[in-house]
Amino acid sequence: MKILVADDSRVMRQIVIRTLRQAGYDDVDVVEAEDGADCLAKVGSESPDLVLSDWNMPNMTGIECLRALRAQGSSVPFGFVTSEGSPEMRETASDAGALFLIAKPFTPDTFRDALDAVLA
Amino acid sequence: MSAPITALIDGETVTAVAGEVWSALVGEEELLLPRAVPVDGPSSWVTVTGPWDGVVVLTCAASGTADLARSVLQLDDDEQPTAEDVDDVLRELANILGGNVKSLLPGPSALGLPETGPAPLRAEDEDTCRVSASWRGHDLAITIQGASEAPATTTTEVPK
Repeated sequence: MKILVADDSRVMRQIVIRTLRQAGYDDVDVVEAEDGADCLAKVGSESPDLVLSDWNMPNMTGIECLRALRAQGSSVPFGFVTSEGSPEMRETASDAGALFLIAKPFTPDTFRDALDAVLA
Repeated sequence: MSAPITALIDGETVTAVAGEVWSALVGEEELLLPRAVPVDGPSSWVTVTGPWDGVVVLTCAASGTADLARSVLQLDDDEQPTAEDVDDVLRELANILGGNVKSLLPGPSALGLPETGPAPLRAEDEDTCRVSASWRGHDLAITIQGASEAPATTTTEVPK
């Protein structure tokens, strides 16, 4: 099992990975991406089982990355971990093919609720 | 043009948002204690663009930034965070505070990328909502201020 964590903040990538471990996903491999463009490239090279991506990133945003992936025919499971959780953003994310949107701040329980169904 | 920020959000709500962010990122037992003092120190901020245009600024006394980074990164007490770590932590806290504040404002609106540096603060007026607090004895302030023209200021003094 491999999870790709995309966020332009190294601190936030570290917190997401720590929360994954605290939520009980101890044995997953984690790959990191620094922005949407890096994420797009690493979906191709790393073949992750799930992508957890920030929304607001330089070079390519998370939603642009998701749309690019779907346009390329990729069906990789994709969820957002972002500082904004408005109904409009959730709808935009869902319309683009995201499975869930986790709003920051989050807890290990939030991760379990969103990820258990995907990683089962 | 939207109503001024004081008609859209109050200090109590901002304090509640900050408390949730602190509890989740800094630590479950980490409390922000209300403290009405001017705060001078490094700042981080994000812009909000939409019906209400402005910026959400976090200002932290210089004495507390390393402690803050240490807590968020769960470093040992004797570990010294790098300047890059401190900068990243301040940016991410402003980003999350900004995202949560944005969700309480009229939409649709967009959040900018977080920045750090000298606080881009303006004088207190009706398009400014500012709360200050103490965390582990370090003063900090959260300022939500409109982008409309106003005199600049260099302190985060909370009005009596």
